[in-house]
Amino acid sequence: MSLRQTHGAEIDAILALYPHKRSAILAVLYIAQDAYGQLSDAAIREVAEILDATVTDVFEVVGFYTLLYDDKVGKVVLQVCDDVPCAFCGAEELVGTLESKLGIKSEETTADGLFTLQRVKCLAACNRAPVLQANLDYHGELSTPEKVDELLSQLRTRIANNDNISISGRKATL
Amino acid sequence: MPDVNLIIDGQAVSVPAGTNLVDAARTVEVAIPVFCYHPKLKPVGMCRMCLVEVYTARIDPATRQVVMGPDGLPQLALMMNKLQPACVTPVSEGMVVKTTTEKVKFAQRGVLEFLLTSHPLDCPVCDKGGECPLQNLTMQWGPEVSRFDYSDKVHFEKPIKLSDVIYLDRERCILCSRCVRFQDDIAGDEVLGFDNRGRSWEIISKSEPGFDSKFSGNTTDICPVGALTNADFRFRSRVWEVRSTPSICTHCSVGCNLSLDARHNSLMRVMPRENDDVNEIWLCDKGRMGMRFVESATRVTTPLVRQHGKLVAASWDEALTRIASNLSQIAAKGNGQVAGMMSDSASNEDLYAFRKLITDTFQSTSLDHRPGAVTDVAIDEAIITAGVGMGTSLLSLGKGTAVVVLAADVEEEAPLYVLRLRGIKNRGGVVHVVNSFATKLGTSASSDTRIKAGSEAAYANAFLKLVLEAQVASGFDRRVRNLDDVRNQLSKLLLDTLLEHAGVSRAQLQKVVDAYMAASNAIIVYGRTALQIGASVTQTMANAAMATGKCGKANNGLIALTTGANTFGAVSLGVRPGKDGAAANEFWARAEAGTLRGLLVVGLNPAANNPAAVEGLQTIAKHGFLAVQTMFMNETAELADVVLPQMAIAETDGTITNAERRVQRFRIAMAAPAAMHPTWQVCAQIAERATVATPASKNATAVLSNWNYAVTSDVTDEVAQNNPRYAGVTYTSLDLSINSWGRQANESVYYDGTSYTNTEGNGVQLKTVADDAGAALTVVYSPPVEFEPKGEFGLLMQTPVRAYNGGTWSIDSKLGSRQVAAHVLISSADASRWNISAGDAITVASPIGSSTLPAQIDKNIAAGHVLMPDVAGAPVHLALGAYTRVAIRRAE
Ligand code: SF4
Ligand code: SF4
Ligand code: FES
Ligand code: FES
Repeated sequence: MSLRQTHGAEIDAILALYPHKRSAILAVLYIAQDAYGQLSDAAIREVAEILDATVTDVFEVVGFYTLLYDDKVGKVVLQVCDDVPCAFCGAEELVGTLESKLGIKSEETTADGLFTLQRVKCLAACNRAPVLQANLDYHGELSTPEKVDELLSQLRTRIANNDNISISGRKATL
Repeated sequence: MPDVNLIIDGQAVSVPAGTNLVDAARTVEVAIPVFCYHPKLKPVGMCRMCLVEVYTARIDPATRQVVMGPDGLPQLALMMNKLQPACVTPVSEGMVVKTTTEKVKFAQRGVLEFLLTSHPLDCPVCDKGGECPLQNLTMQWGPEVSRFDYSDKVHFEKPIKLSDVIYLDRERCILCSRCVRFQDDIAGDEVLGFDNRGRSWEIISKSEPGFDSKFSGNTTDICPVGALTNADFRFRSRVWEVRSTPSICTHCSVGCNLSLDARHNSLMRVMPRENDDVNEIWLCDKGRMGMRFVESATRVTTPLVRQHGKLVAASWDEALTRIASNLSQIAAKGNGQVAGMMSDSASNEDLYAFRKLITDTFQSTSLDHRPGAVTDVAIDEAIITAGVGMGTSLLSLGKGTAVVVLAADVEEEAPLYVLRLRGIKNRGGVVHVVNSFATKLGTSASSDTRIKAGSEAAYANAFLKLVLEAQVASGFDRRVRNLDDVRNQLSKLLLDTLLEHAGVSRAQLQKVVDAYMAASNAIIVYGRTALQIGASVTQTMANAAMATGKCGKANNGLIALTTGANTFGAVSLGVRPGKDGAAANEFWARAEAGTLRGLLVVGLNPAANNPAAVEGLQTIAKHGFLAVQTMFMNETAELADVVLPQMAIAETDGTITNAERRVQRFRIAMAAPAAMHPTWQVCAQIAERATVATPASKNATAVLSNWNYAVTSDVTDEVAQNNPRYAGVTYTSLDLSINSWGRQANESVYYDGTSYTNTEGNGVQLKTVADDAGAALTVVYSPPVEFEPKGEFGLLMQTPVRAYNGGTWSIDSKLGSRQVAAHVLISSADASRWNISAGDAITVASPIGSSTLPAQIDKNIAAGHVLMPDVAGAPVHLALGAYTRVAIRRAE
């Protein structure tokens, strides 16, 4: 099924916001990314078609932004800050905990396709270090394995209920 | 606006406001090094190579007033207290610029050291080596050593194919975006872009097929490193080993200037040569990569004569004598039974000599430059009167200019005009496209009107009606004759009927007319469809130009995208049917009727895709005599009694006249693969051997003295003497160069790329009738021709031009994969009506036959409209003219 069929109304509402279709490029890419779990070659071409944009232009945008994933990611993308302030407050331990609990290394996705773990630079929430964002929702002060467990089980429940899951962060509250 | 005065490296400079510092410095021969800046592209300030010290008046931050020094002059301060990129800094009054200070040199060394951190330094195997800005600038401004670790270089897979003809070496790329900007701004094919960022930044193309542009080769010229190379030249030669010969492209009517670069006697590459009045510094890919046929092993290299039914090698003398004696015998019977046809891409000299041979020696007026198909274009008389005036320079046009493009597919017919017309629009002019199907130029035009198939003449007449109405107020050009008749006839046509026929609203048309009327420079461009329909489009549009005085002066008038590179030459030098003579597409009937018995064909292949011509040619060969001069064996040559080898443009010299009537010289770049003679000489040799009685002196042999040419320019001189329109056109006048945009010696390479500076002449533009102040301009009413689908043939078919048509130029070309295969384009509506899917074989039937070929579906085509591109192998003989009534169905 094409995006037009599955998200036609939503796309039209977005296109209506702009004088030029191509201005809607990020918003439509978010929808495509959520629908397909990644921005594959075919997905990017489909977006270009919707926007009447040049295919290469859309690829450029996807290539530029790190939050547009051309490789398959999990239902939830965990992005742990490992920049200096967070590092002082236990970012490496947080990464280690996540790696062992999820059974993956950073930049990998769990076999069940639920989680992708990534390292990122300062998320501008140093006051809550160590911090990560899950589908762009902030979770701070993750200083103990228990807190991590709690977060993961919370997320698993949400995934199971399909409760506001969006790798593009369209459902993020902050 | 008054010029701005400033000081650059101690020299006073005065340039127009808005000029950037790089260009300003060049006017006083100060070369500021650049990578990303290109004079034809908008500056972006990406590479920082052009950093200079700029001093402007110091402003007191408190009072916001200029601070005065003790000498009473404004005190100067370093602008923003740091170096400025010269390419994005416009001049301002009183500015002082320093380009050679220690600070500047330090920056230049730094930028180069930085650019080289990840450069592979594989100059010894890089095609750009020897004409590479990065090499040159590093030698002149760079540091001797790098502080960066060699092993830290970023590595990419060595060249990847962006397309079949363009390779990208990402390690060499310095990310200047010249290629991307060329494609976006100049070519209008937005198929290049950047992927990723930081050290993984790279150029990508995601079009299907990759790098889908007819202008892609130009990016290899302006790429300041060896990142982009073209398949045609890769690893063929070092650039300093080649000998460059100025020449002209003959693949279309633009007449682009190019350089044929040969090593020993072998063609290495084709490069653009600048000519502001023609191709600026660009070439289309067909021009650049369509010259390999010259060295094809399949060239005809020796004369062939028919013996016992077979063509066998013969000496030139034998072949020429056979032609002369056979055609002489036929001519001696009188009544113009000899005919000649010659390509309208041949040189003026060859066309002139050919005309002379047929009309003077063989006493016939059956002469033509068209291939003898029903779809042959009409001879365009309007262009001789109302073509764009002398001194026209599209590059100078912008604001105040209106261009109306009617019934033309500019990109397919004359590619470079897309760049030139887009340029006019980019500089503030308007370009209105009106066509029956979607074209590439239309997508970037000011307006793109889609008219109904077959309604071109209706549109033209509606246009003329409104133009004449609008002109009443200001009065008509006093040189115009016959206006009352035209107005009278036009008044019988109802505007509403014409508009309805064209499927256009009054407002749509009015917008185009208003733009045309308001413009101080107004140009009308028409192409193949208009030329096929003939006077009811071409003459009608010419009427509009004449009545409004929008011709006979520079930058105003008509441009016809003609079928050949020298159609104007062919028409004005008489290679066209004369009094009592037949047109090429009447030859075949005359052959069957027994009134045409001898035919000489040069550089044309009438038998291709044309069963009527095949029959006619067979009859001529059987009962008379058929001689063909050609570069390659083809359907026509197979039927001939004698075949002569023909020289390629690279092997001979002469002049040709382009769509804007600019006569340009081409020179001998290499020796022919075997002993051959240029066509003008072949004509002379035939004439010398001919024994035709002339009416004046029965039984005398043809006069020899007037074939007394030693070199090509002797013919050129005779052309100038005998044809008032060519008066003054000599090799000498053609060689006068205008040094167009102020390049300085040796710096062109890094300033604007590797196109060649023109030192050999910009050519001479011929006068139109209207260019003579006293000439009468006769407007002629030409009723709209109508094409209506009828009965079982319920659709209208057109046979549009494709640049990549699989013609002679494509032999051995790297553009092989881009050749368009024979197919039919139909609308989505018709596809569903006949249950046809893309790729299905369908049968196209016209009143004269039918043929089966694959279908493609185009959502931009209107229902009832069918396009069968005129490419090698397409059954275009089904067509009966510009439009043909057809029926389609799925093939069983
Ligand atoms: S490929 Fe050449 S022109 Fe294009 S960005 Fe790289 S260096 Fe510049
Ligand atoms: S635009 Fe025409 S003349 Fe110019 S290079 Fe292309 S084919 Fe040749
Ligand atoms: S360092 Fe981690 S949020 Fe700033
Ligand atoms: S920044 Fe000026 S030339 Fe590149």
